[in-house]
Parts: sequence; structure tokens; C-alpha cells
Amino acid sequence: MDAATTPLTIVGSPDAAACEGDFCEIPEHHTQAQVNRQLDADLV
Amino acid sequence: MQCPWCYIGKRKFEAGAKEFGGDVEVEYHSFELSPDTPVDFDGTPVDYLSQRKGLPIAQVEQMLERVTGIAKDVGLDYDYDHVHQTNTVISHELIHFAKSKGRQLEMKERLLKAYFVNGEHVGRIPDLVAIAVELGYDEAEVTEALESHRFLADVKADVALAQEYGIQGVPFFVIDGKYGVSGAQEAATFANVLQQVASERDAN
Repeated sequence: MDAATTPLTIVGSPDAAACEGDFCEIPEHHTQAQVNRQLDADLV
Repeated sequence: MQCPWCYIGKRKFEAGAKEFGGDVEVEYHSFELSPDTPVDFDGTPVDYLSQRKGLPIAQVEQMLERVTGIAKDVGLDYDYDHVHQTNTVISHELIHFAKSKGRQLEMKERLLKAYFVNGEHVGRIPDLVAIAVELGYDEAEVTEALESHRFLADVKADVALAQEYGIQGVPFFVIDGKYGVSGAQEAATFANVLQQVASERDAN
């Protein structure tokens, strides 16, 4: 490990959406937020 | 290139940088999520994910519908009905080619739009050359660069760098070589870390 790769301080929510391998997770809070918006828009 | 959260995360980062308000220099690095994907995968992203993960078609369709809805919230019209699942290593080479011309950000945005919104193929050289020519690049020069794989080593070097950092997923943002932000975080998260870095720089 050289100077360019000093260990990083990880910040932000650990639940943020990301892709690992060929799979892209969709955290529950994203789904719920979208359902809430659809409810607001009378789409469901 | 094929990570739906990367385009969404890009928009959120851009919003965060705008909220921060200061100067931000951005450089994109390559990361291959699935390097064994064939260039001409015979099927849709739904087929691909279903086959690879062993998930029912209906569940994959529901997943993509949800991510499409989240993309819409940041102004992106994902069109998974016309997405071409492919191997994207040559598109990463094209981004490095554009970087060598000082135009990386423009190419990154154009290729994400090509894949997720326009339904363009981003795995084949002729399709990528057409995109580059549309942006004003010389056809012969870009064709030579992609056919010779002159920038493949740069792609692999980026992947190796990510491994050194211990990065396993994308999007992943390295800020000032010190802070790591994983995933499509909210804009405020990016604004906060950019402000933190600016404060630290001012103090030094």
C-alpha cells in the first residue's frame, strides 16, 4: 500500500444503495420512500 | 457503467458539490462489476440478473422497476426495456481515451446516458466510436485507440487501485485521498464531506 492508498475514513450512511459484483442492492428505506411518494401522488 | 446506483450517485454527488459551493475537481476511475459478461449477451438485463442470481423473473422486474423509479427522482429516465447488457471494458477504455484529451467528465456522462437512457450498446467498438465521433473526436484516432486497447492498462490499474483501497462495490467516492463515501448517498452527505475537506485544507 503506497501513499495514494492510505486507509480511508468512511463517512455517510452504511445503508446507501450500491452494486457489488453483478448485484445491485435496493435498501428497504429507498423502497419505502418511493411507495410513500406514490401514495402522495395517488398512484397506489 | 452498468451500475444503476452510479448514475443516481453521480447526480446526488453533483447536487452535493453544488450545495457545497466551492471548487471541486472530479476524476472518474474504472471499476468492473462483472468482467466475465459477454459483449453480446443474448438477453435482457432481466434475463441476465435472473440467470446470474437465480432470482425469479418477476422479482428482478420488480427490482428494476424500483430502481427506475428512484432514478426518476433525480431526473434520470432509465429505460430497462431497451438496455443492452454487455461487457463494458472497452467503454472504460474510451473514458480513459477521453481523459487523455482532458474531456473525461463529458464522456462519462454521455456513456451513462447511452446505456441507461438511450438504449445504445456500450460494449462494441463501432457503437463506441459513433458516440465519440458525435462528441467531435476523430474517428480514425478513436478507432485505433480502442482496437489497439491502448488504454486497457489504465482500466486495469484503476481496478487494482480500488482493490488496494478495499473497495468492493460502487459507486464509491474517494475525497481528497482521505475520506471514503460508499453508495448513492444523499447530496447533503457529499456537501458535508466536501466542506470538511475544505476546512481541513484551510487549517493547514
